[in-house]
Amino acid sequence: MAYLELSGLTKRYRDSVAVDGLSLSVERGESVALLGPSGCGKTTTLRMLAGLVEPNEGVIALDGAEITRTAAHRRNMGYVFQSYALFPHLDVARNIGFGLEERGVARAEREQRVEDALQLVRLQGLGHRRPRELSGGQQQRVALARALVIRPSVLLLDESLSNLDAKLRDAMRHEIREIQRSLAITTLFVTHDQVEALTMCDRIAVMNRGRIAQIGSATDIYERPATRFVATFVGRANMLPAERGADGRLTLWGEALPAAAPSGGEVDVFVRPQRLKLAPAGEPAGADMARVSGHVLNSVFVGDHIEVIVAGPGGQRLTVEIQSGDAPPPDGAEVAVMWRAQDTLVFPREAA
Amino acid sequence: MTGAGPALSAAAGVVYALILSPIVVVLLLAFSADNFILFPPSGYSLRWFIQLAANGPLLNALLLSAQIAVAVTALSLLIGVPAALALAKGGFRGAEAMKSFFLAPLLLPTLIIGLALLLAFTPLRLTATLPGLALGHMTITLPFVIRMMTTAFAAMPDDIEAAAATLGASPRRVIRRVTLPLAAPGLIACAALSFLLSFDETVISLFLSGPRAATLPVEMVRYVEGRTDPLIAALSMVLIVGTLVIVVLVERLVGVARAFGNERS
Repeated sequence: MAYLELSGLTKRYRDSVAVDGLSLSVERGESVALLGPSGCGKTTTLRMLAGLVEPNEGVIALDGAEITRTAAHRRNMGYVFQSYALFPHLDVARNIGFGLEERGVARAEREQRVEDALQLVRLQGLGHRRPRELSGGQQQRVALARALVIRPSVLLLDESLSNLDAKLRDAMRHEIREIQRSLAITTLFVTHDQVEALTMCDRIAVMNRGRIAQIGSATDIYERPATRFVATFVGRANMLPAERGADGRLTLWGEALPAAAPSGGEVDVFVRPQRLKLAPAGEPAGADMARVSGHVLNSVFVGDHIEVIVAGPGGQRLTVEIQSGDAPPPDGAEVAVMWRAQDTLVFPREAA
Repeated sequence: MTGAGPALSAAAGVVYALILSPIVVVLLLAFSADNFILFPPSGYSLRWFIQLAANGPLLNALLLSAQIAVAVTALSLLIGVPAALALAKGGFRGAEAMKSFFLAPLLLPTLIIGLALLLAFTPLRLTATLPGLALGHMTITLPFVIRMMTTAFAAMPDDIEAAAATLGASPRRVIRRVTLPLAAPGLIACAALSFLLSFDETVISLFLSGPRAATLPVEMVRYVEGRTDPLIAALSMVLIVGTLVIVVLVERLVGVARAFGNERS
């Protein structure tokens, strides 16, 4: 049995199901991201873990003991809120020491541990400041230190970086990952930001409509998305309807695709924009390559790459990403678009 | 656009002048040297303040009113704050209906409340007693405290209390260490306003006062019914200064704006 075990967890609100029979196993010291769009139930899941929301069904077990109905203050979970939720009437040191005071840790030890925590999040010397005197990034560190200092069984991070500006977010991402690794603390990280999920966690659980759509390593999720939803939610995607030829093989824009088709039903073809290459019109496809022809609609300079929009005969569009150093073909040019057969994925039309 | 334009400021100035001018009249009369109310006074002196210091019935009434106001404030907070906590945070069935119920006395004419209390208290021998008057005033201050504190607690971000819970604080400890300290500005303002509401209460007091016990406003009404000297102006002067002291004290302690929760909105 894994260190943290969620099984069949369900939370219903009056007219909606926030979390729908969710099961998840997390090993000791592992870092798992709950990634999904807003309203997918990821925060509700985290709150149920912390004891802030009571599940309607299901079981939460920590280290072999069931804690499903245990009160929040007896769970020993370190929760970092999206709003940080610092105590505005207490200074930084007392914010961090709050959990230790509640645990009856003696003053000398408490002060030492608060000092260590301040050092861990690089806020030495700011212990006497009030939260409102700190920047957003500093408040974030206080919230993190406050959650870590109690040596929690599990660290729960709820969109903890979403209130920071982009640069600070990058820095904090690495910092939190470092701390998480060095303390070997089991971590659940709720986020809607795929970069956060991909860079900060050992495994990613992609959530949709209260369920886990796919769980796996960053590479699994990105390269082998299990469902259409995962494919389009994580990373950029081209998703185009495929036709079936007379022999039952799939075709796109009138050209045969080197991809196996699931039997029956309408299907869509999925391929990531950065896996597509542009070639002069008429150039033949190599072995194990897919190839379609179209004309360039327009090109958009995005900074680190250029998006070239290619329209097919039916007016459908493919986005091709090329390096920003390369010159995009002129608008209206006839081009061939090629990609490796193995980069093609096929999803049933209806399934989400 | 920031701030009020000159036209709006002038209009506000006129309104203020209209509201405050009677107070200026009282202020001048308080220092009158005349035997009866005459405006403007023909001379100025402190004689009515000296008379006031020797007026037994009025001073007794002042003392009684102060005692009642203190008791009313303490009891209203003691009962009202836990009630407001339950209404704002308890999330139980019927909380909304109860909020409306507790608001009802504020909407009812105080005349009706006063009459009802008189009818209810007479057989209980509570009329013209300190407990009776205090209970009467609490029909005004308690709904007020519940109302104000429910709003104050509801406006508090839930995450801060949730954070305290995840850090190991039991519900009781969360209230003591987080909820109440954060509500302190509202509590202080509530206490001050309860005190002033009770101290100033006239209508209910008129019904419940008797020869044995009368609050200051009642005693003042009786006084002006019989006399026309500026003594009452001198007393008003003392009350105005007292009220100002309380307001300044609250302002110093928390800032009036913060006390009413404007800071976060």
